[in-house]
Amino acid sequence: MTTRTHSLKNKLSTGDRERLSGLLKTAQAELMHLQQTDQRLFDSPFSPEDLVLRLREIDFSERVDAFVARFGRLQDLLGDKFLPAWLKAMEEGVGAVLENLDRAEKLGLIEGADDWLAVRKLRNLMVHEYIDRAETLHMALYSAHEHVAMLAQAVERFRVRTLPLVD
Amino acid sequence: MRLSQQSQTIIHQAVLRRFGDRAQVRLFGSRLDDSAKGGDIDLHVRVQGEVDNPIWEASLLAVQLQRQLDGRKVDIRLLDEMHDVLPVDEVALSQGILLA
Repeated sequence: MTTRTHSLKNKLSTGDRERLSGLLKTAQAELMHLQQTDQRLFDSPFSPEDLVLRLREIDFSERVDAFVARFGRLQDLLGDKFLPAWLKAMEEGVGAVLENLDRAEKLGLIEGADDWLAVRKLRNLMVHEYIDRAETLHMALYSAHEHVAMLAQAVERFRVRTLPLVD
Repeated sequence: MRLSQQSQTIIHQAVLRRFGDRAQVRLFGSRLDDSAKGGDIDLHVRVQGEVDNPIWEASLLAVQLQRQLDGRKVDIRLLDEMHDVLPVDEVALSQGILLA
Protein backbone atom coordinates (compact mmCIF):
# COMPACT_ATOMS: atom_id res chain seq x y z
CA MET A 1 0.00 0.00 0.00
CA THR A 2 1.32 3.43 -0.90
CA THR A 3 1.83 6.03 1.81
CA ARG A 4 -0.88 8.16 0.24
CA THR A 5 -3.44 5.34 0.24
CA HIS A 6 -2.49 4.57 3.83
CA SER A 7 -3.02 8.14 4.94
CA LEU A 8 -6.31 8.39 3.02
CA LYS A 9 -7.47 5.16 4.62
CA ASN A 10 -6.75 6.51 8.09
CA LYS A 11 -8.84 9.58 7.40
CA LEU A 12 -11.93 7.51 6.59
CA SER A 13 -14.48 6.95 9.32
CA THR A 14 -15.74 3.44 10.03
CA GLY A 15 -18.97 4.51 8.34
CA ASP A 16 -17.12 5.63 5.20
CA ARG A 17 -15.28 2.34 5.01
CA GLU A 18 -18.43 0.33 5.53
CA ARG A 19 -20.17 2.29 2.82
CA LEU A 20 -17.35 1.71 0.32
CA SER A 21 -17.10 -1.95 1.09
CA GLY A 22 -20.90 -2.29 0.91
CA LEU A 23 -20.90 -0.59 -2.51
CA LEU A 24 -18.20 -2.94 -3.71
CA LYS A 25 -20.12 -6.02 -2.57
CA THR A 26 -23.30 -4.75 -4.21
CA ALA A 27 -21.49 -3.98 -7.47
CA GLN A 28 -19.98 -7.47 -7.54
CA ALA A 29 -23.34 -9.11 -6.86
CA GLU A 30 -25.08 -6.98 -9.49
CA LEU A 31 -22.37 -7.81 -12.02
CA MET A 32 -22.80 -11.51 -11.38
CA HIS A 33 -26.54 -11.21 -11.93
CA LEU A 34 -26.05 -9.17 -15.09
CA GLN A 35 -23.59 -11.70 -16.50
CA GLN A 36 -26.00 -14.55 -15.77
CA THR A 37 -28.86 -12.89 -17.63
CA ASP A 38 -26.52 -11.76 -20.39
CA GLN A 39 -25.49 -15.35 -20.95
CA ARG A 40 -29.05 -16.66 -20.93
CA LEU A 41 -30.40 -13.96 -23.23
CA PHE A 42 -27.65 -13.98 -25.86
CA ASP A 43 -26.89 -17.67 -25.63
CA SER A 44 -28.38 -18.23 -29.09
CA PRO A 45 -28.24 -15.23 -31.44
CA PHE A 46 -31.52 -13.65 -32.54
CA SER A 47 -32.44 -11.41 -35.47
CA PRO A 48 -34.87 -8.45 -35.24
CA GLU A 49 -37.55 -10.76 -36.69
CA ASP A 50 -36.79 -13.45 -34.09
CA LEU A 51 -37.01 -10.79 -31.41
CA VAL A 52 -40.58 -9.88 -32.37
CA LEU A 53 -41.65 -13.52 -32.29
CA ARG A 54 -39.74 -14.46 -29.17
CA LEU A 55 -40.99 -11.49 -27.13
CA ARG A 56 -44.32 -13.32 -27.09
CA GLU A 57 -42.71 -16.04 -24.97
CA ILE A 58 -42.95 -15.06 -21.33
CA ASP A 59 -39.57 -16.55 -20.49
CA PHE A 60 -37.71 -14.66 -23.22
CA SER A 61 -39.52 -11.41 -22.57
CA GLU A 62 -38.65 -11.67 -18.87
CA ARG A 63 -35.00 -12.21 -19.76
CA VAL A 64 -35.02 -9.04 -21.84
CA ASP A 65 -36.54 -7.12 -18.94
CA ALA A 66 -34.05 -8.57 -16.48
CA PHE A 67 -31.13 -7.76 -18.74
CA VAL A 68 -32.23 -4.15 -19.25
CA ALA A 69 -32.91 -3.65 -15.53
CA ARG A 70 -29.68 -5.26 -14.36
CA PHE A 71 -27.57 -3.44 -16.91
CA GLY A 72 -29.05 -0.11 -15.89
CA ARG A 73 -28.87 -0.80 -12.19
CA LEU A 74 -25.18 -1.69 -12.28
CA GLN A 75 -24.19 1.23 -14.49
CA ASP A 76 -26.07 3.67 -12.26
CA LEU A 77 -24.62 2.16 -9.10
CA LEU A 78 -21.08 2.53 -10.45
CA GLY A 79 -21.48 5.99 -11.96
CA ASP A 80 -23.88 7.69 -9.57
CA LYS A 81 -23.03 6.10 -6.20
CA PHE A 82 -19.74 4.22 -6.18
CA LEU A 83 -17.75 6.72 -8.22
CA PRO A 84 -18.67 9.79 -6.12
CA ALA A 85 -18.04 7.84 -2.88
CA TRP A 86 -14.66 6.64 -4.15
CA LEU A 87 -13.63 10.09 -5.42
CA LYS A 88 -14.54 11.55 -2.04
CA ALA A 89 -12.47 8.93 -0.21
CA MET A 90 -9.55 9.67 -2.53
CA GLU A 91 -9.98 13.41 -1.91
CA GLU A 92 -10.33 13.90 -5.65
CA GLY A 93 -13.26 16.27 -5.46
CA VAL A 94 -16.78 15.33 -6.45
CA GLY A 95 -18.66 17.25 -9.13
CA ALA A 96 -21.35 16.78 -11.73
CA VAL A 97 -21.74 13.46 -13.53
CA LEU A 98 -19.66 14.46 -16.55
CA GLU A 99 -16.86 15.86 -14.39
CA ASN A 100 -16.75 12.69 -12.29
CA LEU A 101 -16.63 10.45 -15.35
CA ASP A 102 -13.83 12.50 -16.93
CA ARG A 103 -11.90 12.18 -13.69
CA ALA A 104 -12.57 8.45 -13.59
CA GLU A 105 -11.22 8.14 -17.13
CA LYS A 106 -8.12 10.13 -16.25
CA LEU A 107 -7.51 7.97 -13.18
CA GLY A 108 -7.99 4.80 -15.23
CA LEU A 109 -11.15 3.61 -13.48
CA ILE A 110 -13.16 3.57 -16.70
CA GLU A 111 -11.96 3.26 -20.28
CA GLY A 112 -13.82 6.19 -21.84
CA ALA A 113 -16.23 8.74 -20.40
CA ASP A 114 -17.89 9.27 -23.80
CA ASP A 115 -18.54 5.56 -24.28
CA TRP A 116 -19.94 5.37 -20.76
CA LEU A 117 -22.37 8.22 -21.48
CA ALA A 118 -23.31 6.86 -24.91
CA VAL A 119 -24.24 3.53 -23.32
CA ARG A 120 -26.39 5.39 -20.83
CA LYS A 121 -28.09 7.19 -23.68
CA LEU A 122 -28.90 4.08 -25.65
CA ARG A 123 -30.40 2.44 -22.56
CA ASN A 124 -33.44 4.63 -23.19
CA LEU A 125 -33.99 2.72 -26.42
CA MET A 126 -34.16 -0.64 -24.70
CA VAL A 127 -37.88 -0.60 -24.06
CA HIS A 128 -40.06 -2.98 -25.92
CA GLU A 129 -43.48 -1.43 -25.72
CA TYR A 130 -43.39 -0.57 -29.40
CA ILE A 131 -43.04 -3.60 -31.56
CA ASP A 132 -42.73 -1.39 -34.67
CA ARG A 133 -39.34 -0.41 -33.33
CA ALA A 134 -38.06 -3.97 -33.07
CA GLU A 135 -35.04 -3.08 -35.16
CA THR A 136 -34.09 -0.29 -32.77
CA LEU A 137 -34.64 -2.47 -29.71
CA HIS A 138 -32.56 -5.18 -31.34
CA MET A 139 -29.63 -2.84 -32.01
CA ALA A 140 -29.85 -1.37 -28.52
CA LEU A 141 -29.84 -4.80 -26.86
CA TYR A 142 -26.85 -5.98 -28.86
CA SER A 143 -24.95 -2.74 -28.22
CA ALA A 144 -25.55 -3.13 -24.50
CA HIS A 145 -24.52 -6.78 -24.73
CA GLU A 146 -21.21 -5.65 -26.24
CA HIS A 147 -20.71 -3.31 -23.30
CA VAL A 148 -21.25 -5.79 -20.48
CA ALA A 149 -17.47 -6.26 -20.61
CA MET A 150 -17.01 -2.51 -20.08
CA LEU A 151 -19.04 -2.71 -16.85
CA ALA A 152 -17.19 -5.86 -15.74
CA GLN A 153 -13.86 -4.14 -16.30
CA ALA A 154 -15.02 -1.11 -14.29
CA VAL A 155 -16.14 -3.33 -11.37
CA GLU A 156 -12.73 -5.01 -11.37
CA ARG A 157 -10.90 -1.68 -11.36
CA PHE A 158 -13.12 -0.34 -8.57
CA ARG A 159 -12.36 -3.52 -6.60
CA VAL A 160 -8.60 -3.20 -6.98
CA ARG A 161 -8.67 0.44 -5.91
CA THR A 162 -11.21 0.15 -3.14
CA LEU A 163 -9.84 -2.86 -1.26
CA PRO A 164 -6.72 -1.02 0.02
CA LEU A 165 -9.01 1.63 1.51
CA VAL A 166 -11.30 -0.75 3.37
CA ASP A 167 -9.20 -3.80 4.28
CA MET B 1 -35.62 28.15 -34.68
CA ARG B 2 -33.97 28.58 -31.29
CA LEU B 3 -30.37 27.60 -31.91
CA SER B 4 -27.52 30.05 -32.24
CA GLN B 5 -25.57 30.26 -35.46
CA GLN B 6 -22.52 29.10 -33.53
CA SER B 7 -24.31 25.98 -32.25
CA GLN B 8 -25.58 25.22 -35.74
CA THR B 9 -22.04 25.40 -37.08
CA ILE B 10 -20.71 23.14 -34.30
CA ILE B 11 -23.40 20.56 -35.09
CA HIS B 12 -22.90 20.73 -38.83
CA GLN B 13 -19.13 20.37 -38.50
CA ALA B 14 -19.41 17.42 -36.13
CA VAL B 15 -21.78 15.56 -38.47
CA LEU B 16 -19.54 16.34 -41.44
CA ARG B 17 -16.47 15.03 -39.60
CA ARG B 18 -18.23 11.82 -38.68
CA PHE B 19 -20.09 10.98 -41.87
CA GLY B 20 -18.65 13.24 -44.55
CA ASP B 21 -20.89 14.86 -47.13
CA ARG B 22 -23.21 11.86 -47.36
CA ALA B 23 -25.09 13.12 -44.29
CA GLN B 24 -27.75 15.76 -43.75
CA VAL B 25 -28.61 17.06 -40.30
CA ARG B 26 -31.92 18.62 -39.34
CA LEU B 27 -33.16 20.30 -36.22
CA PHE B 28 -36.65 19.24 -35.18
CA GLY B 29 -38.78 19.09 -32.05
CA SER B 30 -39.31 21.79 -29.43
CA ARG B 31 -36.41 23.98 -30.55
CA LEU B 32 -38.34 24.84 -33.70
CA ASP B 33 -40.96 26.57 -31.58
CA ASP B 34 -39.83 30.18 -31.14
CA SER B 35 -42.26 30.82 -28.29
CA ALA B 36 -40.98 27.93 -26.13
CA LYS B 37 -37.96 28.10 -23.84
CA GLY B 38 -34.97 25.81 -23.34
CA GLY B 39 -35.54 22.16 -24.10
CA ASP B 40 -33.53 19.31 -25.55
CA ILE B 41 -31.87 19.67 -28.92
CA ASP B 42 -33.46 17.06 -31.18
CA LEU B 43 -31.44 16.29 -34.26
CA HIS B 44 -32.18 14.06 -37.19
CA VAL B 45 -29.26 12.78 -39.22
CA ARG B 46 -29.92 11.11 -42.55
CA VAL B 47 -27.00 9.23 -44.04
CA GLN B 48 -26.75 7.91 -47.58
CA GLY B 49 -25.71 4.27 -47.73
CA GLU B 50 -25.25 2.13 -44.65
CA VAL B 51 -24.10 2.97 -41.15
CA ASP B 52 -22.78 0.18 -38.99
CA ASN B 53 -24.83 0.20 -35.78
CA PRO B 54 -26.64 3.52 -36.27
CA ILE B 55 -28.00 3.81 -32.74
CA TRP B 56 -24.52 3.49 -31.22
CA GLU B 57 -23.16 6.08 -33.67
CA ALA B 58 -26.08 8.36 -32.82
CA SER B 59 -25.56 8.01 -29.06
CA LEU B 60 -21.83 8.69 -29.31
CA LEU B 61 -22.33 11.73 -31.53
CA ALA B 62 -25.00 13.06 -29.14
CA VAL B 63 -22.62 12.73 -26.18
CA GLN B 64 -19.83 14.52 -28.04
CA LEU B 65 -22.16 17.33 -29.08
CA GLN B 66 -23.42 17.69 -25.51
CA ARG B 67 -19.85 18.44 -24.49
CA GLN B 68 -19.37 20.96 -27.28
CA LEU B 69 -22.73 22.62 -26.56
CA ASP B 70 -22.03 23.24 -22.87
CA GLY B 71 -23.92 20.25 -21.53
CA ARG B 72 -27.24 20.95 -23.21
CA LYS B 73 -29.08 17.68 -23.76
CA VAL B 74 -28.86 16.43 -27.33
CA ASP B 75 -30.92 13.59 -28.77
CA ILE B 76 -30.11 12.18 -32.17
CA ARG B 77 -32.13 9.97 -34.45
CA LEU B 78 -29.99 8.54 -37.24
CA LEU B 79 -31.50 7.10 -40.40
CA ASP B 80 -29.45 5.29 -43.00
CA GLU B 81 -30.70 3.56 -46.14
CA MET B 82 -30.64 0.07 -44.67
CA HIS B 83 -33.07 0.51 -41.81
CA ASP B 84 -36.80 1.07 -41.47
CA VAL B 85 -38.21 4.58 -41.75
CA LEU B 86 -40.12 5.27 -38.54
CA PRO B 87 -42.82 7.87 -37.89
CA VAL B 88 -40.20 10.01 -36.12
CA ASP B 89 -38.18 10.09 -39.36
CA GLU B 90 -41.19 11.25 -41.36
CA VAL B 91 -41.88 14.06 -38.90
CA ALA B 92 -38.25 15.18 -38.81
CA LEU B 93 -37.80 15.04 -42.58
CA SER B 94 -40.97 16.98 -43.32
CA GLN B 95 -40.84 19.55 -40.49
CA GLY B 96 -37.16 19.74 -39.58
CA ILE B 97 -34.89 22.56 -40.66
CA LEU B 98 -31.74 21.59 -42.51
CA LEU B 99 -28.59 22.84 -40.77
CA ALA B 100 -25.83 23.87 -43.14
